[in-house]
Amino acid sequence: MELVAIFISAVLIQNFVLYYFLGICPFLGVSKKIDSAFSMGLAVTFVMSITAVVSWLINNLILIPYGLDYLQIVSFILVIASLVQLVEMFIRKISPPLYQALGIYLPLITTNCAIMGLALIAALNEYSFVETVVFGFGSGIGFTLAIILMAGIREQLDLADVPEPLKGAGIALIVAGIMALAFNGFIGMLT
Amino acid sequence: MSLSSRMIIVLTAVGLISGGFLAGVAKLTKERIAFNIQKEIEEAIVNVIPGTVQNQKLYEEEDLSIYGGQDESGQSIGYAVQSTGIGFQDKITLMFGINVSLTKIIGLAVIDQKETPGLGAKIRDWNAFLQFWENRNATGEIILRKPPAGSLEELSPMEINTITGATISSKKVLEIVNFSLERLRELQKEGRLEGKPDAN
Amino acid sequence: MPTKSIRAEFLKGLWAENPVFRQLLGMCPTLAVTGTVITGLAMGLATTFVLIFSSLVVSLVKKLIPSQVRIASYVVVIASFVTIADQFLKAYFYPISKAMGPYVPLIVVNCIILGRQEAFSSKNSVGRSFIDALGMSSGFVLALLVLSTIREILGAGTFLGSQVMGPWFKPWIIMILPAGAFLTLGILLGIALVIESKTKRD
Repeated sequence: MELVAIFISAVLIQNFVLYYFLGICPFLGVSKKIDSAFSMGLAVTFVMSITAVVSWLINNLILIPYGLDYLQIVSFILVIASLVQLVEMFIRKISPPLYQALGIYLPLITTNCAIMGLALIAALNEYSFVETVVFGFGSGIGFTLAIILMAGIREQLDLADVPEPLKGAGIALIVAGIMALAFNGFIGMLT
Repeated sequence: MSLSSRMIIVLTAVGLISGGFLAGVAKLTKERIAFNIQKEIEEAIVNVIPGTVQNQKLYEEEDLSIYGGQDESGQSIGYAVQSTGIGFQDKITLMFGINVSLTKIIGLAVIDQKETPGLGAKIRDWNAFLQFWENRNATGEIILRKPPAGSLEELSPMEINTITGATISSKKVLEIVNFSLERLRELQKEGRLEGKPDAN
Repeated sequence: MPTKSIRAEFLKGLWAENPVFRQLLGMCPTLAVTGTVITGLAMGLATTFVLIFSSLVVSLVKKLIPSQVRIASYVVVIASFVTIADQFLKAYFYPISKAMGPYVPLIVVNCIILGRQEAFSSKNSVGRSFIDALGMSSGFVLALLVLSTIREILGAGTFLGSQVMGPWFKPWIIMILPAGAFLTLGILLGIALVIESKTKRD
């Protein structure tokens, strides 16, 4: 049951974008169309789940036992950079059309704070292996949810009359604020 | 030199230099950081068992640590129980002081919380919440007083005040304390805390 | 491309190419730790430290690093300085470090820093890279200060912990919540663009 709580918390209550402010760059940049938002969400969820596994292994099998906690930051970012590189090569071989569709988004995932944030928060909360995997997958889903919702709203906004200075990032942030408020309502769901 | 070997050398060098540098920094700061964490706990212990000059950790399990506090004469004056549990928003870590015979809660402090600012976060506040935890009767289960009493005198010793607008956070703190009390009683029965019962 | 004067190199980071308001980079920490001025300031200073030193190192060794491994190398350099900043805060400013949660280590993925290495320090002299880093950092600190001041005063009635609003003021709690961060930044972005277009027209 604890696992279900972690999953729901990651998706709704402590949503990575709307609560932890992670993944804002792609959130603002890639949320203009629902299709691209969905692809980005999938790619991120995939990378996050694998990162969760690898970062847990490195942290708990190498870093902590040898007292190398301070190397967390460096190790995690290297893991993420390598993983993204591998995922890119892998998708390119397995499914060229998917690779085309994701395009530039893949390399961008490396600096997506959401992935690094995932590794750090899971380490901070000292989650077990299974908990970390569920957390990684859940946060990916949460990110995907937020970005798809945002894309849906922005596709509608394109047809509306937004004041010039607010067009683009400004209105996106304000929408995000309102979404964050709405998601606030999920607090206490697990009590 | 071929490009590949150059790449490998550069990467290895970068890795080694940073690694070595960071190891040095870590060594310099390690003690200070451990000290900070220790200090925070000690301040909390003195806060919840006033008059403590010395303490040691008596017992530890996941999410629960028990410290014994002594005054200048070495006399045991109470236990400080540090406990972590789920709050409304996220985890709450608190510490309460209790006398050695486990009959009276001396005081409560909140060490870590992420409750709603302005509402649940008030559990950290002396006026809004913590003052009502002084000298509570711990022989049974403590209960919530709702609507909250106007002053400490109006509360019966087995009650604590709920914070208006933060009933759930208040309740969560209470749950953590009650749970820890039960665990504490079990542990004392098993003789895991070398406390000497005194006249409190 | 004509080389800018030192003054211009520095000033661009403050307004015209302000990392947060114009380049829309580094949003994660900007939104996350600006609930109070003290954490906003701490984040700004920590990022400044990382940016300046990373830029100095990258600019110093730019000729030694083959292009294929440059991103990985920059990342390791940045991550090292972030680790140092994190350790330093934990050791000497423990309460602030706690208040900032996991966001100090997250400086490593602050796009501003990697962006500057790629766009500037790897192609410019050490001196210029330093000025550029200084300007960008100042712009970032400025953005953090503006945002956190608004959020702390309106959200808690305090500034740096001291009460500045009278007892008549009922804090707008939303300002401290994530929603408030998003809304405030969105509005500030709008204002920045208005100012920009007005000065262009003049």
